[in-house]
Amino acid sequence: MTDYEAVIGLETHIQLNTVTKVFCSCKADSWFDPPNSNICPVCCGLPGVLPVLNKAVVEKGVLLARAMNAEIRPLSFFDRKNYFYPDLPKGYQISQFDQSLARGGYLDLPIPAAASPDKQAYTRHVTIWKLHIEEDAGKTKVSNQRRLIDFNRCGVPLVEMVTGPDLRTADEAAQYLIRLRQLLRWLGISEADMEKAHLRCDANVSIRVRGETKLNPKTEIKNVNSIDAVREAIAREIERQIREVEAGRQIEAWTLEWDEDSGTLKKMRSKETEADYRYFREPDLLPIRLEEGWQRQILVDFPELPLERRARFVEQYNLPEYDADILTSERKLSDYYENTVKSYGGDPKKVSNWLMNDVLRMINDQGLNPQEMQLTPDALAEILKLVDAGTININTGKALLQKVQESGKKPGAIVAEEGLGLVSDDSTIRAVCQAVLAESPNEVTAYRAGKVTLIGWFVGGVMKKMRGKADASLARQILEELLNEKNG
Amino acid sequence: MEICDLNALDLARLVRSRQTSAVEVVKSCLERVAQVDGRPGSLEQKPLSDEDKKRVHAFITLAGENALRQAQRVDRMLAAGEDPGVLAGVPFTVKDIFCVQDTLTTAASKILANFTAPYTATPVQRMQDAGAILLGKVNLDEFTYGSSNESSAYQPSPRNPWNTDRVPGGSSGGSAASVAAGEAPLSLGTDTAGSIRQPAAFCGVVGVKPTYGRVSRYGLIAFASSLDCPGPVARDVKDAAAMLAVIAGSDERDSTAARLAVPDYLEGIEEGVKGLRIGLSPDYFRITYPDPASGELLSQPLPEEIARAVTEAAEKLSALGAEIVEGVPMPNTRFGIPAFFVISRVEAASNLHRYDGVKYGLRSEVPTADLKEMYKITRNQGFGLQPKLRILMGMFVSAAQYSEQYYRRALQVRTLIRQDFEAIFDPAGAYRLDALLTPTTPTTAFKMGALYGDSVLMQYADQLTVSANHAGVPGISLPAGLDDEGLPIGIQLLGADYAEKTLFRVARAYEMATQEADWRKQKPEVLRGRS
Repeated sequence: MTDYEAVIGLETHIQLNTVTKVFCSCKADSWFDPPNSNICPVCCGLPGVLPVLNKAVVEKGVLLARAMNAEIRPLSFFDRKNYFYPDLPKGYQISQFDQSLARGGYLDLPIPAAASPDKQAYTRHVTIWKLHIEEDAGKTKVSNQRRLIDFNRCGVPLVEMVTGPDLRTADEAAQYLIRLRQLLRWLGISEADMEKAHLRCDANVSIRVRGETKLNPKTEIKNVNSIDAVREAIAREIERQIREVEAGRQIEAWTLEWDEDSGTLKKMRSKETEADYRYFREPDLLPIRLEEGWQRQILVDFPELPLERRARFVEQYNLPEYDADILTSERKLSDYYENTVKSYGGDPKKVSNWLMNDVLRMINDQGLNPQEMQLTPDALAEILKLVDAGTININTGKALLQKVQESGKKPGAIVAEEGLGLVSDDSTIRAVCQAVLAESPNEVTAYRAGKVTLIGWFVGGVMKKMRGKADASLARQILEELLNEKNG
Repeated sequence: MEICDLNALDLARLVRSRQTSAVEVVKSCLERVAQVDGRPGSLEQKPLSDEDKKRVHAFITLAGENALRQAQRVDRMLAAGEDPGVLAGVPFTVKDIFCVQDTLTTAASKILANFTAPYTATPVQRMQDAGAILLGKVNLDEFTYGSSNESSAYQPSPRNPWNTDRVPGGSSGGSAASVAAGEAPLSLGTDTAGSIRQPAAFCGVVGVKPTYGRVSRYGLIAFASSLDCPGPVARDVKDAAAMLAVIAGSDERDSTAARLAVPDYLEGIEEGVKGLRIGLSPDYFRITYPDPASGELLSQPLPEEIARAVTEAAEKLSALGAEIVEGVPMPNTRFGIPAFFVISRVEAASNLHRYDGVKYGLRSEVPTADLKEMYKITRNQGFGLQPKLRILMGMFVSAAQYSEQYYRRALQVRTLIRQDFEAIFDPAGAYRLDALLTPTTPTTAFKMGALYGDSVLMQYADQLTVSANHAGVPGISLPAGLDDEGLPIGIQLLGADYAEKTLFRVARAYEMATQEADWRKQKPEVLRGRS
């Protein structure tokens, strides 16, 4: 059978998380609001009103452009994209066409072994073909054969970002979206929730015989609402195209719609010709002039990006890739980790273990924000140090996590207050050991008869009596001494 | 002379010093409207009576009661010792292309017949904030698309107060007619190719197209957004200057409105023209028009009376000490209309997309299950001929396969026209002009029906004004005599960006120098026979 490869490009629409819309002062986020409650004459396109640009949109766009290694144009323009649709109240969308905010760009996308066909991790270089600012349109809902229009979404700021045809597998497409979502949240410019349409993705898919360089007719997949669905839909479409070509049929440039429920693609329309949007410069807005001063101000706190930080964690802290990946999944978590490492001064891997096993569970179960936890990086570091010093045992340390989180007290203070410190005083432990043996004559006899595994049971008894504070190894040592002594 | 014949600054002075009341002023204007205006424009199809043909028909919506209430408020403020503003008690009319809260805004189109805006256009608001009183909304060409006012869906369309068989010009025809007929001393118009200056010239009043961005466009229903300029229509230069000072300035709701301080246009307005360099260009002394058969641009000299009005004005200014610079080249003037034809229609077609029957305005009552059908029927019923022609042309010349040939090329021509102006106003250039003196229009007011229907020739009525819109520079038209049929002739002064103050100074010097001219004593036909 012929060996095919898929050629995939993704067109994403990213809703920026600004407080107000792009060209008016209406609230941008309407997720919890009833239809047509965040609207005004400007976003509804009434006659005579004019758009006024929200600068925060440009600023967030610049952050994304920088993160995608794109060239930021010092002078860019808005253009009108003309088409009729009832949820587009002006009959045109204000967008950017030939001189958009940014030019070029790329993302070096790490593909993990698990998502690789031959189970070897690799990097895919994904180029960015288009990155521009535009306004969102409203939403149309058909109900009882009536079209209902919600204009709340009109004027919500979007960045449209389009990749080159650089992706080769459905898994790569999913990885791109995972990394993009991570990046958007990392930069704090979008909530990037696909289920809430903050992040929308259309996929262009074609296939060719491996080794060829030409591009064959592609299909466009729309209406995919999760990363898993994108992966699934592309995989289905690649299979379909291979079947078609194997059967000697041509691939036609269809637009396909993903049906989530049945997990199938449905043909929406044939795409004989490209629509003519009659782009021209938006005369109601001035060009965006990104003077050096403004650009500097936007980029002054530009953060280390997740993939860079991931590589640094592996390098600097000797973390396994797996740990580094989880610890850089989110910027606040990653800052938390690094602050703890600095405060602790010990083995970074140990911090990683505590964080990934226990603290992360707390964060996820209780929906905590790492930045705002009472269990601060300093507190976590202190707990680790208390364990290292033998002041408390590991179990006490782990119990302390929640106590600190709830009370906001320092770990050392809680240990002192509740007397959680390990008892390593020989005579105290010896007295309890004697009491335990005295209370369990049958077990003592059994032990002495050779059932030495009972030692654990005795240690447990001691720990129980001392409410876990005994130095367990010392208790064991004393118990063995007492049991063997009588025997001798 | 009646109160309503006084100019705005005099009225404001009288009202502020309580020698008359705002209510008296408004009553006088309303009386004049009742005498000369006839029935207002309406969508009813009613044949023109002989009576109708003698009236001005400037208004679509007369807001008499509301105007009286505003006047009472102004008078109360004055009585209480408060200052209602520099235009206290001065009535003004507004071209019905500006939105005014709780007032019908029709754009003279059936498609907006029932539209009431929930906001007031910035220049209207500024007039009201200065104490001026909105008398009503006046007629225009549908969506401002015309130069005669005849294309209004609201008939009868305005007629020229100097001769009611003639057009008042357009598209701000209702504005110019209402000011010329003494219905109001001021009117707010818009100028996209000459739509303030041409009707001002036809009606013998002063019309100003400010620098693009000098006056906010917020609340102005757009024709060609990159060319549209709101501006004053007045009976003399000082009134126009005072009104511009009120309406100009930056606006947080229009980012294309310039963030430049507004000068005091009246300060030094009578300082004269001594030492100013005023140019004359041969390119403004010929009429260009397309040959109907070949489409080639032909040209012929300007009518002699109009040319003479301009040269006489130059002589007067020269006598006052201005330096007249002849032979100033403006070689791209003749391409102004073809380029405008393309650019304005691309923008107009796009600006008209929003009138789809979905959200406001007319929606066809013809039942249809299909959305596209609803769009089509609504737009077909709602738009008159002129919007339809502009949509067709605009869609055509911006289509991907034609855009390069038409739209892109027109933009290049626009740049060349802009460069013509930059060269002559460059303070370090060869001409170093303070103003360019030209005729405003190629003809005086033409007869009703003479051009209507030929939308190409109609457009050429703007050939001497449109360049300023392409270039964004300011222009003012002022009366400079009457032709042998007794129709007003207008002359135009064009200046560099934001040089309105200089233009007012030159215009005022000319106005003062001709104060005693015989033609200034003539009155419009509709006012003759009054004391």
